[in-house]
Amino acid sequence: MELEELKSIWKNSEPGFQSKDETEIASMLKGRSLSIIDKLKRSVWFELIFTLAASIGLLIYALTLPSGALKWTSISILLMCLGYTFYYVKKLMLLNRFDPVKENMRANLVSLINNLSGYLKFYKRSYTILYPVYFCLGLLFGGLERGADEFFERLVQPRTIILLTLIAGLFYFLSTRFTNWYLRKLYGNHLEKLKGLLNDIHG
Amino acid sequence: MYENDPDVRNDLFQEIVFQLWKSFSSFRGEAKITTWMYRIALNTAISGFRKQTRNVKTEDLKELHLNISDSWGDDREEDIQRLQWAIRQLSEIERAMIMMALEEVPYEEIAETIGITQNNVRVRMNRIREKLKNLCVTNHGT
Repeated sequence: MELEELKSIWKNSEPGFQSKDETEIASMLKGRSLSIIDKLKRSVWFELIFTLAASIGLLIYALTLPSGALKWTSISILLMCLGYTFYYVKKLMLLNRFDPVKENMRANLVSLINNLSGYLKFYKRSYTILYPVYFCLGLLFGGLERGADEFFERLVQPRTIILLTLIAGLFYFLSTRFTNWYLRKLYGNHLEKLKGLLNDIHG
Repeated sequence: MYENDPDVRNDLFQEIVFQLWKSFSSFRGEAKITTWMYRIALNTAISGFRKQTRNVKTEDLKELHLNISDSWGDDREEDIQRLQWAIRQLSEIERAMIMMALEEVPYEEIAETIGITQNNVRVRMNRIREKLKNLCVTNHGT
């Protein structure tokens, strides 16, 4: 079976799709992109807007509080949220580097694999730091709202220390396991597929 | 050829149109317009597009079953179905290459689109041709 023979069979086949008119094409262009990079960008923008909205809410709450430990805890969470906007900007910068147009398929795959791997590494690293910080701040925030004196008194008791260490360990274990599972489900399998395609090109 | 589900195929077509539109301003005429279009279409279909999870529709299963169970004959329509079935069995990169070859895209342009040498394209095309031949013979036997 020669290629020319295959071409002649192919030429007789019906086109795979009906041609589209102007209005149909125009309506298609109004839709949202389904490319993986555009989807990631949209989700980062959502996280960024959510963090900024939560920061504004927290700021309004902190301003209503009388001066004290609770107020300072709120402000520290607020500062952390604002600091975290840097993380979202960095994520967006990583995603904006990707431009599939200039590249051939091999270069595009290499670039996509590098970008996605870098993005996932950054995502994991930031959450490894963020989860313990959130846990400690959440604990402090909850404790102080019930009464600072009682909270610090209980905090130094060995039983509380052991209990908190166990809860912190469990929280850290479960949250990192969840993040890893979530990332693998969302992007890990796609990344594996891309690596397979690259191997296939080299093959 | 990249998607069996007509809804997913439409989504993919829309995504390709969207990417072509978005990227048109960056086309500087260094490559042929067809090479540029193939590049974007294949990059979108193979690496950048994530289809929505949908249940496999019964008509797709029926179509697949018909393609596999049909016997080899002189009928042109059957030949086309068999060829389409055989192409679907190839890997995505091989599918991209044979599709371009069947559409009379020169090897030079295929090499440029995929990012491999022309010699490599020749070698790969020979392998693909062999695979298709074996697939058609196997299918003919069933």
